[in-house]
Parts: sequence; structure tokens; C-alpha cells
Amino acid sequence: MSFHADPWLVQVVQVADLGILWYMLLVNSFFALLLVLAAPQLFSHWRFGSEDVLARSLTSAAVPRVSILVPAHNEAVTIVDSLRALLTLQYPYFEVILVNDGSTDDTMARLVAAYDLYEVPPAVMRRLRTKHVKAYYRSRTWTKLLVVDKQNGGKADSLNVALDAARFPFVLACDADTLIEPDALLRLARPFLFDQKIAAVGGTIRVVNSCRVEEGRVVDARVDSRWLSGIQTVEYLRAFLFGRLGWNMLGGNLIISGAFGLFRRDYLTEILGYATSTVTEDFELIVRLQRYLREHDTPAAVVFIPDPVAWTEVPTSVAVFGRQRERWHRGLISTMVAHRQVLFNPRYGATGLIAMPYFLLAELLAPVVEAFGLVITVLCTLTGVLSPRFALAFFVAAYLFGTLLSLAAILMEEVSFHRYRRPADTLRLIVFAFIEPFGYRQVTVWYRLKAFVRYFQGDHSWGRMKREGFGATAPAGAVKGTAPAA
Amino acid sequence: MLSLDVLAVALGIEGALIAGALGGLVALRLWLIVRTRQVDAGVRALEPLLHRWLLDDVDATAIVLLLRRQRPHVAFRSVARLATAYLTFERQQTLAPLLRGEVWVQRVLGRGRSVFWWRRFDAARLLSIVGGPDDADLVASLLFDVAPAVRLVAIDAAARLGGRLVDLELESLPARQDAVQQYQFAALGRHPAIVVEALLPRLAPSEPAAKLNAWIDAAGALANPVALDRVRALGVHADATVRLHVARALRRHADPETVPVLLALLADDDWRVRAQAARALGALRVAAAVEPLAAAVHDRGWWVRYRSALALAQIGGEGRTALLAVSRGPDPMARDMSALVAGLSSAAVVEMSEV
Repeated sequence: MSFHADPWLVQVVQVADLGILWYMLLVNSFFALLLVLAAPQLFSHWRFGSEDVLARSLTSAAVPRVSILVPAHNEAVTIVDSLRALLTLQYPYFEVILVNDGSTDDTMARLVAAYDLYEVPPAVMRRLRTKHVKAYYRSRTWTKLLVVDKQNGGKADSLNVALDAARFPFVLACDADTLIEPDALLRLARPFLFDQKIAAVGGTIRVVNSCRVEEGRVVDARVDSRWLSGIQTVEYLRAFLFGRLGWNMLGGNLIISGAFGLFRRDYLTEILGYATSTVTEDFELIVRLQRYLREHDTPAAVVFIPDPVAWTEVPTSVAVFGRQRERWHRGLISTMVAHRQVLFNPRYGATGLIAMPYFLLAELLAPVVEAFGLVITVLCTLTGVLSPRFALAFFVAAYLFGTLLSLAAILMEEVSFHRYRRPADTLRLIVFAFIEPFGYRQVTVWYRLKAFVRYFQGDHSWGRMKREGFGATAPAGAVKGTAPAA
Repeated sequence: MLSLDVLAVALGIEGALIAGALGGLVALRLWLIVRTRQVDAGVRALEPLLHRWLLDDVDATAIVLLLRRQRPHVAFRSVARLATAYLTFERQQTLAPLLRGEVWVQRVLGRGRSVFWWRRFDAARLLSIVGGPDDADLVASLLFDVAPAVRLVAIDAAARLGGRLVDLELESLPARQDAVQQYQFAALGRHPAIVVEALLPRLAPSEPAAKLNAWIDAAGALANPVALDRVRALGVHADATVRLHVARALRRHADPETVPVLLALLADDDWRVRAQAARALGALRVAAAVEPLAAAVHDRGWWVRYRSALALAQIGGEGRTALLAVSRGPDPMARDMSALVAGLSSAAVVEMSEV
């Protein structure tokens, strides 16, 4: 390093630099740990998941009965196809409870026409406080279907209504526009066959943009050539294939996707269902569930398994992407604040001592540290406080480590599930892994920083997004998707 | 402060790891392609031969010879994939002694005590096809393996071999989760005579409730009349959970003597027992139960009202008439429930009664 500034400035820069370096070292080491922990698990899941014994066993009476909860708000264009895809899942015992959350388009009318719905009396056990339910409908053609029409109250409120109407001991929460693979429910039920006591199971969310979709099914998996959705594909692989698998081993899994997660209904009812006051109800729910399990000494696990797959659309414009990331980060802040007593609290085991501190340091504070590091490095290099060679080497080290993690995720995908069959798609994933640190990361940091401002302004809105639909024009809807954080 | 030299070392290591990751990616991709092709080719070669053997067109030794010519992993994968899909238990019994002496079979079975779970898994898988009396000790150890996947596959092998392994399975039942129990029932159901013989002495009121419940469920899943006769006698057990399991198991026992037991359980103190009794009466379509079921639609328990209303719909005729009468009655909760069920299509009633 070469120094041309006042000694006090040099000292400040040195301390800040050291702090950032240690932070980077700590966080990256933790990512590497997650990767090391995830690899053997991924192998186990892939190895057993590919056996035909799984299919045989899971079509027996062994699988648990599942109620699928589907909140829908202004989904008129896609609702009929999406619902049909759910109703034709390969699973012996399930029901679908679709909640029309005060749609202002003709979602309800289309459902009534397509599924021959008729109104039934409200013979439902009400345990949770929700917005007013207008009516319950059953279908003459699909006996597994129950439709609930209610006043608009948001996604969490709709899920609570569905939770009340559910008959079965397990519930699967999913978005109306999420495409669940036909055998995904069977695969999701695997931990039950492994004699595990389960509170919740999550599966993988993959990016559907550019994939060929027919009748609500992904028939040809492709990687989008557009940079924004392409990079998000890599990001999702990284988050799901080693992030969450690694957390399984540490015992503090805190994210089960709101778009695709299986829960024990009685636990959800005990914790009074989904919180309506947060914008990331899935994350908040798992934190509350983990707290409940610890506080009641209940030995039930929250696990993630990688091979059940659901597909979701990700934003393709920077504005929409930014709103989504800003909301996710705002939800993270509010959940961390609401459950601050869990932080570093040994009573909550791995959740209190590892998972929550990780989310505080490596997720919540990450944009602040990254922005600060970037600004201070550039300024000090320009003013000669920091050697350009050192700054460059530092940047390249950070860049390569991030790229290495992405490549590891792609490698795990290739070795295990190998969804992208064309070499061109694999090549695209590799290219996106290399370009992710240029632009994409900085945009993410910017919107995540905005989340702090909006959180302190007391903003609880979801933001709007124009969805492209699966090969068709879809209407505007709320920004959805699931946070791919590690 | 971190020096430039240290950063340079870090860069070098990271670069090497990236190069390794990329190289590994390509190598593994190629390896997977080759291996998949080999197994697919093996399956394609074996499949027509198996069909011909099933039609008695060729001798079983032709299959043995074909598998002998294949690589061991290909032979194993082909047999594992096709045998369970195409071959009945009797056919597997014919093929098993011919395959036992093969080198590839010995190699796979030799992995039964490997430290790697996936090797033990392969051994258990093969034992479920070619296992014989000499393998009882190995199967017994695999049945309680540390890896859940191995335990699961060993259930099939144990059920195939029978004898003391069935006793072991029955003893392990109460400690298993519901899903695993159901899987075990399905495996045990392939050998009902052996299982019922081992089950009957266990269906005694003196057994602990937790164990008794699992064995009652097994009797229910087997739907064996002799075992269910024994279950019926447990309808007066002091433990409510036992009575609950009795009511659930008896829904598969269409015997005149079952009806009074279920009617008594419909008046049980425990709402869970009443709900299951109503479900069983509906499943057995007991016309004599219409009146008590109509009364049960007024029960204070939601599930009892639900199951009773469904049972009346299942019984049909008089049951439907009683349901409509309740739907016009003064009790709002009974009225809502009966109106809900009365409006369901027949298919919906079947579906909702099943689960």
C-alpha cells in the first residue's frame, strides 16, 4: 500500500479495510462450510431419489394426506390452467383449497365456469382470525377441489382461511402461478418414509423464464438468455442446491419457500397461522415455527430436500426485480426485529446461535457492508490512500470466490439432477456465473439498501409487477417469488 | 492488515478451485452420460428376454447368461429396474437360485456390510429379489440400519424371507412413523399367512396400548378375517386410543358381529372414537346404523358430525333421507354439515369418506 494522506485518515481506512476483509473472510468461509455440508446430502437425495423403489413406495398408502393451499388474487388469465395442473398431481391423497382473495378481475367467474362450482354451507372449523369469507364452493367435476371466496386481505390472510378449511394433517402452501412438477409432492413426502419427525419440508424453486410450458407443466427446461433472469437462475441454483441443504445439517433451516412448502397443519394452527403484518410471510412463519418447536421442546425438524421441484417466474426488468428484492429485504429486517430475542439466545439452539446471527450478519447487513466497502475502496484508491494493486487483488479475490460458489452450484446441478439437457444451457449458466458480480450485485445492493429506508418509513406494501406468463400475456399482479437467500 | 502476498495466495487457490470445478463439471457430465448409456443398453437387452421368459419361450438360464456378459453394475441395475416391475414373487423365486452363484450378485451382496450406505442400499435392494434363508442375518442387520433408505428397502427383503424376520418387523412396527408403518403393511401383505400367524398372539388386551395400536392397524391393513375377529374383541379396551384403532380397522370387516361393536363405539366418550366408528359404519354401509348416525350429526365434535353425515350419504336410501331431514332441522351446526354433505356428488362422497 502507498499512503499520501493524513495519518488519521490512513488509520481509519486501515481499520475499515481490516473489518471488511474479516467480514468477507468470515461470510465466505461460512458459504464454503454450507457447500461442504451440502455435497454429501445432495448425493444422498439424488441417489435415493433416482431409485424406482421411491416411486413404488410413495404410491402406496404410506404417504401423508395433504391439503394444498392456493391463494389467488387477480389471476384470471392463468388460474384455470394452473389449478388443473395442481389437480392432476401424481399423489394419492390430497385436496386443493383455492382462496380467491377479493379479486377484481373475473378470476371467480372463470373458476365457477371451468370447474362447475356450487356453493356449500360454511361447515368449516374456524380457528384463525381472518377477513370476511363470502362463500365456500365445491366442484361437481373435481371432488378434490374447494374454492373459498373472501374479502381482500392479502396472501397471508388467504393462507389462513385455507388453513382453517384444510381437512388433512399436512398442508402445502403454494402460489397460484407456481408450476409444481407432477411428482414433486411424492418426492416431498420422502422424509416421512425415512421415519423422521417433520414440522415442515421445503423443495426447490427453479426459474421458469424461457422454459417451454404445456398445460401447466414444464416440458423443456431452458436457461433464459437475458442477463437478469439468467443470473437469477444461477442464484436460485446456488441458494437451493447448497445453501438450504447446508442448513439442514446445521439444524437451523429458516427458509421454506412460501411458493412450495409442506407443513404440519397442527403446528401452523398452534402458532396462529401466517402473520399478516409482514411482507415475507414465509420467512417469518419459519422463524416463528422454529421458536415454537424450541419453546415446546418438540423434536420435529424443518428440512429441505432438493429434488421436488416447483417453477416460478422471475422478474425480467430491473425495476420489477428491484421492487422484489427491496420487499424481501424489508421483510427480512422486520422479521429480524420482531424476533430479536432469538438472536444469540442458546435456548433456541442452532436457530438462535447460528441461523439468526447468520441472517443478521451475512444477509441483513450484507448490502451495508458491501456498499461501504465499495465506496471506501474506490475513494481511497482514487486519493492514493490505498494501493491500486491491493484494491484490484482484493476485488479479484472477492469476485473469484463468488464465482466459485456459483460454479459449485452448477456442478452440483449437473452431477445430480441435470435438468438442463442442452450443453448450451450449461454454458449459459457458466457465463452468467462469471458476469453476476458486474452490475447485478450492485443493483441488488442498491435496492436492498432502499429497503432500510422504506422499513424506517413504515412501508408495508408489496409493490406491483408485470408478469410475462408462461408463453402468454398475463395481467399485472403482486410481486411474488421466493427469496433465494442462502 | 492483509498483505498483497496473502491475497495473491488466496487468488491462486481460488483460481485453482475454479479450474478444478470446471474440469470436474465436464468430467462428471461425461461419466454420467457413459454410465447412463451403459445401463440403458443393459435394460434394453434384458427386457425382451424377460418377456420371452414370462411367455415360457426361453429358459431362465438365458437371462443368467445375458447378465453374466454385462458389467456388474449394469447387470445389477437392469435386474433391479426390471425384476420388481415385471416379475411376480413366484417368478423371482425361480430366478433367485440361478442368480445366487453369479459373481456380480456376490459382489453386490458383499456390500451389505459396507461403510457406505448406498452400497448397503444396493445389497438390500438385490436381497429383496434374490435373498434366501442364508441371508437372514444380513437382512436382520439391514432392517435396523442407521440409514433410513436402507431400512426401508430391507423391509421388502425381510418380508420376502419370512420366518423370524417377520417377528422382527412386527416388533419394530410400534416404533415407526405412520408412513413407514404403512410401507411395512404393504410389504407384509405379500405374505399374509406367515404374518397373520405371527400377529394373532400379539392381539391381546394385556399388550401395551402403543404396541397394540400398531398391530391392530396391521390387522386392518391385512384385512384378514381371523385377525379382525381378534381385533373386534378389543373394542371394549380401557384405553381410548386402542378403541380408536379398533374402530378404524373394523371398517374393512364386513361381518354382522362387527355392527354392534361399531354402534357401541359410536356412543363412546372420546370424540375421536365416535368419528372413526361413524366412518366405519359408512364404509360398511350399515343400514341399521342410520338412526344413531343421524343423531351423531348433532354431535358437539366437528369431525363426528362430518363423518356421520358422510356415512349417511354413503349408506344412501334411508341414509340420504335422514341426512335431508337433519338439513331441515333446528340445530344450525347439524344443518350446515348435513346440507354440505347432501349437496356433494356421489364421487365426492366416496373421495371424502376415503380420506
